[in-house]
Amino acid sequence: MDPTQFDQEKLSEIIEKYQEKKWGLIPLLQQIQEEIGFIPPESIEPIADALQMYPAQVQGVITFYAGFSLKPKGRCVLKVCRGTACHVKGSRSILRMIKKDLSLEEGETSPDYQFTLETVACLGACFLAPTMMVNRDYFGKLNPTKVTSVLGEYRKDSKEA
Amino acid sequence: MKNIVLTINGKKVSAPPGTSILTAAEKNGIAIPTLCSHEELAPYGACRICLVEEENSGRLMASCVTPVAPEMTIHTDSPRVKDHRKNIVRLMIAEHPESCIVCNKGNRCELRRVAAELGVAETRLYPMPNHKPFETHNPFIVRDLAKCILCGKCIRADHERVAVGAIDYSDRGFSSRPVTLHEMPLEKSRCTFCGTCVSMCPTGALSTHNTFFTGTPETEETTICGFCGAGCSLSLGVSDNRVVEVNPSPDRDTVNGATLCVRGHFAHDFLLSPERLLHPLVRETDEEGNTRLAPTGFDAALSTVAGRLADIKRRNGEESIGFIGSAKCTNEENYLFQKIARVIFGTNNITSTGAAGGHALIREVAEKTKGTCRVRRLSSLENADAIVAVLSDTDHAVPVAGYHIKRAVKKGAPLVVIDPYRSDLAAFGGVWLHPEKGGKSGAFGIDAINALTARLIAEGGVDRAFMDRYANDEHGWLPAISAKDPDALAKQAGIAPERVKQAASMLKNRKIAFVPPCDLLERQNGKALLDALFNLALITGALGDKNAGIFIPALENNAVGALDMGCAPDMLPGWRKISDASEKESVAAMWEAAIPEKEGKDIHAMIEAAEAGTLKALYIMGENPLRSLPDPERVRGALKKLDFIVVQDILQNRTTELAHVVLPGAAFAEKQGSFTNMEGRIQSFIPVVSPPGDALPDWAILAMLARKAGYPEHYTAIEKIRQEIRRVVPSYTALGSHRQEWVKQNGSEIPDSFPLAPLHTPGTGSEPDEKFPFIAYIGSRRWHLGAGTRTARSARITASGRTGEIEIAPADAMDLGIANDSENGGKPIIRLLSPFGAIERAAAVNQGLPKGHIFVPQGFYGNDAMQIADFNALKPPGSGWRNVRVRIEKM
Repeated sequence: MDPTQFDQEKLSEIIEKYQEKKWGLIPLLQQIQEEIGFIPPESIEPIADALQMYPAQVQGVITFYAGFSLKPKGRCVLKVCRGTACHVKGSRSILRMIKKDLSLEEGETSPDYQFTLETVACLGACFLAPTMMVNRDYFGKLNPTKVTSVLGEYRKDSKEA
Repeated sequence: MKNIVLTINGKKVSAPPGTSILTAAEKNGIAIPTLCSHEELAPYGACRICLVEEENSGRLMASCVTPVAPEMTIHTDSPRVKDHRKNIVRLMIAEHPESCIVCNKGNRCELRRVAAELGVAETRLYPMPNHKPFETHNPFIVRDLAKCILCGKCIRADHERVAVGAIDYSDRGFSSRPVTLHEMPLEKSRCTFCGTCVSMCPTGALSTHNTFFTGTPETEETTICGFCGAGCSLSLGVSDNRVVEVNPSPDRDTVNGATLCVRGHFAHDFLLSPERLLHPLVRETDEEGNTRLAPTGFDAALSTVAGRLADIKRRNGEESIGFIGSAKCTNEENYLFQKIARVIFGTNNITSTGAAGGHALIREVAEKTKGTCRVRRLSSLENADAIVAVLSDTDHAVPVAGYHIKRAVKKGAPLVVIDPYRSDLAAFGGVWLHPEKGGKSGAFGIDAINALTARLIAEGGVDRAFMDRYANDEHGWLPAISAKDPDALAKQAGIAPERVKQAASMLKNRKIAFVPPCDLLERQNGKALLDALFNLALITGALGDKNAGIFIPALENNAVGALDMGCAPDMLPGWRKISDASEKESVAAMWEAAIPEKEGKDIHAMIEAAEAGTLKALYIMGENPLRSLPDPERVRGALKKLDFIVVQDILQNRTTELAHVVLPGAAFAEKQGSFTNMEGRIQSFIPVVSPPGDALPDWAILAMLARKAGYPEHYTAIEKIRQEIRRVVPSYTALGSHRQEWVKQNGSEIPDSFPLAPLHTPGTGSEPDEKFPFIAYIGSRRWHLGAGTRTARSARITASGRTGEIEIAPADAMDLGIANDSENGGKPIIRLLSPFGAIERAAAVNQGLPKGHIFVPQGFYGNDAMQIADFNALKPPGSGWRNVRVRIEKM
């Protein structure tokens, strides 16, 4: 899978929907992020044109929010919680283990675009510490066995896909 | 609304609601330190240095973004406030590199000043220098973002004042910084290098690229920019009698406020050019018959000039001498120059190359409105109700006027851009009317205006009462255009009818400000387009309104003043027609001298007379006709036939090479005088540095010449010339009494029974044909002013690598097989041939050009673009030398 080959038509459709609606910048970016998986840098100028903004302003908003990415992400985005409760419960070791298992550093994406590893300050699920999210699913009370099995499940999915 | 009363530092003050605490304090003489506030920028609250304490609530707040409220008790200097300010500055300095000793901001660094005032020396914090890229590749701006304190002034200046949008914040927290799109270097971004950000930057993060000077200038003096007709106030930093830095002047109520353009900010290094003329030169012939220009003194040179001109006048008559004045020289100089021509040498052969660069438009508009619309403030344009920009080149020719248009649009004024090219303004927003399927017609402008006018009439969007009161429709224009189908007119122009409808609905019942290009009458069908604009302005009631009407940009700094001073063959100072005997007599009485009866020759007629041998001598002041007139070879041939040429200029140029006597004049920063800008603002200035070598202010040279030629009046000081101008030119009675004054208008009421021009069906002009299938337009790019005699001498402009490629439409580039080359970064060389000449240059694809159109930037490569222009197109009424049929040969 090559995420840089995205659906140009879909992108244009989304931008067209927000034509001249300056307030719509963030919903527009969210929709692109959601449907394409990232915000292609070459889409900044068309977005700015449609919303009558400066391209640099659009870029400023994209880079300000962690939720928007200018680079394609993997099929599975792992968010390992590094909040206080998780830290106390050993999230550092969990992170180290995942790094080793996936051969990724924080913020990196695997060359086959299967996995992206990120850390977050808190997932708000401290009662499940240590926790992580994969895409939209929470995994709590992690231990090495559980991590291995979760990663294994997602790997299996990728092979099937 | 009632003022709000509050207490600041124990003092009761009152301020209107909505005022910030900072402004209220400043108005009452209480200083609060700030790093991010600027009076021309919207309050932002980024730096937090302006913290103040409110006693009742005990809160600390940023005074720049907190509005005053009743019964506030503010302390601006309490120990608590000072403590917090110190901490903020400590944190800023902990992040700042320790480079103050070598920093060019030197004593003007605001961070350093605030730190010094608060007594912050050691931060006692762990230093965390924030290393960011150091950018110095472009010749204009050095960016050292390690010194950036994120006050956002550069970004806000970019967005709010010049409306370019090149930069904005990127990322957040420790890694945030102002960046361009895709973090490209500035020269690859949409940055226009106006330098406004550099002047505003409180630290050394942004500074001017300066190869010959480091440090703080010794003095800073205010003067007026000598490039375009905006007439910006400059603050020149001087060290060792050299201008080492340029910033917008801090004076209030200037044209430009805090902004400048790339020429104003960076091109003034031409003042230090090694090609400046330092000594008077007289042509000598040695034993072998070779001639050369040899240095001499002013006395000898001027004796030669006076002697030779008197001799030629005696032998060949008054008509054999011509004078070319300058839209770049001051009012005083042009006044004296035309007086010398008329009174001493008895000829009305006085003109300027402004004749080929905007004078026609200024004259036409002033004559149509009978001198009632001469004061057109750009600040009014910024407050316009609606703007129609027609073929507008303000972004490049008069950038500061362009900023005003964009700011008006940002304030909500609807903008309609009529232009076959996708100019920066067309891309800025509003409605862009253009031939959607391309098209080469030179008549697009008129067709589009006619379509818009017809649509407005059809929708009842016109001011009937105004029209009935002022307009005189003797040619039956209104019935003629009302009978046309607006949609058919739109289609004739190649515009989708819905677009015109949209534009009309935006403009309906509004007072419209029209902005034509400064070179309108040098383009094909320019006159007809101007007529169409005036008709539309009349039926929408735009004329006579403060914020509406026709705003005429001027390409050169004193284009308006040179005309007012009578640098025209048919006009005496104060627009007095020579053909009007009573007007002539009144000037003759004031001068106590006879004025020649016959109207003189314009620039075209002078060159023709030189070719025919009837013109024997030419005195050229501050002009370079060999570079600025069409068909330079023909002009050279004509000038070579002359017996005697005097050139008074500041730089060696092609015309000085032909001269018999060269007189070194002074540039604007080196002399006293006044310029009149496009708004009708007369701005007086004094010298900032002294002229180089033996050079003298041009008025002083002219005064010496008048004396030598036997004129009794001795103009020992500029005030003597001003006294005379105040007497002779009724609109200049205020000249010289203040730093700036306004031209006195001929009343403010527009003339009654204003004639509506007949409906124009455009002439054919030089439509492209099989042999020359493209239509080229020779126009301005912001890097050079006009012919570029001065800007080409600017080391920074030269180093910018802007080479003025011939711009071609994408579809044409494809057909010619050069599109791919340019995509690969290689620039294909092409040969551009017109019926009048040819040039060779690199070509580049301009996505904004319609098929069939070619844009040739002026000023580059010694302004070779003039080789393809038609000299005869200058012949009045002028058939538009800027448009020419061409074909392309691939090299």
